[in-house]
Amino acid sequence: MSIEKTDSSYDLLYRSFKERIAQLETLPKMDESNSIERAIEEKGFSRRDFMKWAGMMTAVLSLPSSFTPLMAEAIKVADRLPIVWLHMAECTGCSESLLRSAEPTIDSLIFDYISLEYHETLMAAAGWQAEQNLEGAIEKYKGRYILMVEGGIPTGNAGAYLTIGGHAKKGKDIAYEASEHAAAIFAIGTCSAFGGVQAAVPNPTGAVGLSEITHKPVINVPGCPPSEKNIVGTLLHYILYGTLPALDAYNRPKWAYRNRIHDLCERRGHFDAGEFVEQFGDAGAKEGYCLYKVGCKGPYTFNNCSKNKFNQGTSWPVQVGFGCMGCSEPDFWDTMGVVGEPLSEKLYNTTFSGMGADATADKIGVTLLSATVVGIAAHAVISTIKKPKE
Amino acid sequence: MQIKQLIEKIEGEAELDFTLSHGRVEDVTINFGFYRGIEEILVGKHLLDALVITPRVCGICNHAHLIASVRAIEDGYQKAGVEVALSPKAKGIREFTLSCELIQNHMKWFYLTILPQLERLVGAETGENYALKASYLSSTITKALALFAGQWPHSSYAVPGGVTCDPTYVEVMQAQSLLDETIRFFEEVVIGMPFECYLARDKALHLQEIAGDFGRLLGLMEREGMGEVGQSHDRFIVFGEEIFFRSGKSMATTVSGVDVRYVEEAIQQGSYAKAVSYKQRLYEVGPLARAMVAKEPMVKSLHKYYKDSLLTRIFSRVHEVVRLLDYSKTLLQNLRLDEPSATLPTLPKLDSLEGVGVVEAARGSLIHRTRVVEGHITQYDIIVPTQWNLSHGNALERGIAIEAMVGSETIEKASFIFKSFDICSVCTTQ
Repeated sequence: MSIEKTDSSYDLLYRSFKERIAQLETLPKMDESNSIERAIEEKGFSRRDFMKWAGMMTAVLSLPSSFTPLMAEAIKVADRLPIVWLHMAECTGCSESLLRSAEPTIDSLIFDYISLEYHETLMAAAGWQAEQNLEGAIEKYKGRYILMVEGGIPTGNAGAYLTIGGHAKKGKDIAYEASEHAAAIFAIGTCSAFGGVQAAVPNPTGAVGLSEITHKPVINVPGCPPSEKNIVGTLLHYILYGTLPALDAYNRPKWAYRNRIHDLCERRGHFDAGEFVEQFGDAGAKEGYCLYKVGCKGPYTFNNCSKNKFNQGTSWPVQVGFGCMGCSEPDFWDTMGVVGEPLSEKLYNTTFSGMGADATADKIGVTLLSATVVGIAAHAVISTIKKPKE
Repeated sequence: MQIKQLIEKIEGEAELDFTLSHGRVEDVTINFGFYRGIEEILVGKHLLDALVITPRVCGICNHAHLIASVRAIEDGYQKAGVEVALSPKAKGIREFTLSCELIQNHMKWFYLTILPQLERLVGAETGENYALKASYLSSTITKALALFAGQWPHSSYAVPGGVTCDPTYVEVMQAQSLLDETIRFFEEVVIGMPFECYLARDKALHLQEIAGDFGRLLGLMEREGMGEVGQSHDRFIVFGEEIFFRSGKSMATTVSGVDVRYVEEAIQQGSYAKAVSYKQRLYEVGPLARAMVAKEPMVKSLHKYYKDSLLTRIFSRVHEVVRLLDYSKTLLQNLRLDEPSATLPTLPKLDSLEGVGVVEAARGSLIHRTRVVEGHITQYDIIVPTQWNLSHGNALERGIAIEAMVGSETIEKASFIFKSFDICSVCTTQ
């Protein structure tokens, strides 16, 4: 095996992955008559396509390329882990992101195939039957299933802002019960991770993230929408490691959310050179200059968008000159604020009705980052003085 | 007899309470048990924040929300005396991306909702996994969308005065090739005939010539007499003016002008959804309405035989895809990349403004109204297409979808008619 030749420090990890896969293989499949491998083949994907995909996912999870065959093995045993997918207060955009996922359509195919004992947008059953499916799945796969939740949990008015199913069961109760018996819990998207758009001030429905209503550990995969690679990657990570991934302060997997958008940005060179878009549509915009001054929130946002991009790697907001909105940060609606304006300006002359800069930093929760903010803002200001635009 | 039925797969769910008598549906109440309060959240925010917040209303027609909110601001600027003139390039890019969104929506509705449900309803299941076809079509066309809009869902690239992207010919070529691939797939799988042949037809009489999955759907619907059911008030309204859509209202055989000022919203008992009417009357919105108001020949001739039936309504939506694909090709060919992307050099610092933004979203006319005082939003109204079609009705008449369902022999048939309106729960209640 090539692994010995490359880097022996990965040996232990490689062996533990192998053991974990072997262990999962002994579990019963959800559908004995079929396999993921066959399903992928049937849809016209060659072995080569499949390995290419596995190689890509290996890179996404920051593993050496020698792990690619293991990745392929891992996805083949994914059908031992049933997935329960719940929709809470949301716009269905995260499912859309997954449905869109196709490079080739292997990601979507995997979800199409393995999971979705219960996924409202995709599943065939409807109405009463769907509700029974959920209860059935929870009972049947108790302690084994992976729970993926999309959407915030409305808790206001005793949870009455979201009722589901024929018995008008409250969303928060469904999410709580499903969490109780899950082997692992992933909050997919900013809504499920942190409450999302509906949790913005004044939060009319009292929406909160999933972690607020369960005492079990929740892995957050935020983004509005999150990239499909981060969703599938989180699942693969769980299959391979069998444990929670290394998480940051907001319970986001570090393999995906370790770096700031700003750190890996394709326009970073322009920032360093002090070349900024001053107004949308100006000469700098045509040159692809840094978008900080027109409100890019990349310096305060942790995600791997510049690597994964969206719609199967087609593009992302920075590429089309709009800049980052900070959508994978908690409460970004309230804390990141004004579109088209740098965050630092809010700290100097706040738009937050009369509160001073210090109060804003404190109340709005960017205290941690404010030193950086000032630094970046200062850089932006100085660069204008040094390099005046004609 | 009262029967409760849950309707799923409409970006959330709805509860329909059917009243049956003598084996037919006599009345229906539509309720949504879901509320997020997006309009409330917008109050107090900076006027431009609507550009990022409103797309999050819906994961399917988010781009239409973005366009409606940017137009509301542009309209507000204009009313305050600031001239907003979009370059043809910016206008073309916005139209192209909107077309892409409409196409992905219609095709997902076709493959994930209508075709499998019709098959189940009439017992003609093929067991085919249509989800893969839906996914292929929609992922291909949304890639073309993302080339200009950065990402989909939840694109943010439209700003007052234009768009932020500055595409080169490379992006345009990529978009062209993605569009060509969508067209190829559509020709081979959906309609089973070359595009040009389809577009050359102008009479419903040629319906049988359509092959592919669409042909199969039409065949099943004709066999089941679906040209005779699902009829509503036969009144249509369109507010948007873009692509090949024209604003106006169509009643009987006449089409007349409309003014968005006469659109009224009202709270409904027992539901988080608001009712909406035009001069106190209810109208249907969506692809059928757009075709009727623009007097599209093929839909008009079908309407002559089948009125606003299930068959006509479903046909119009898929038919619109063909025309959108064709139109999008021309749009890309006509893009002049040397024109400016955004034309407002500095965004005017206006303290107060009021504006209305209208766009033709996948499901019909979408209206945003914004009122800004001292730089902050004091009121924001989002009127979505599904509200038009699903209003409960008033003392004079039943709501559009309710009228269409009344008289159905079974609840399954009524639910199918309900879905032919392409319902979106998250939009309706926000």
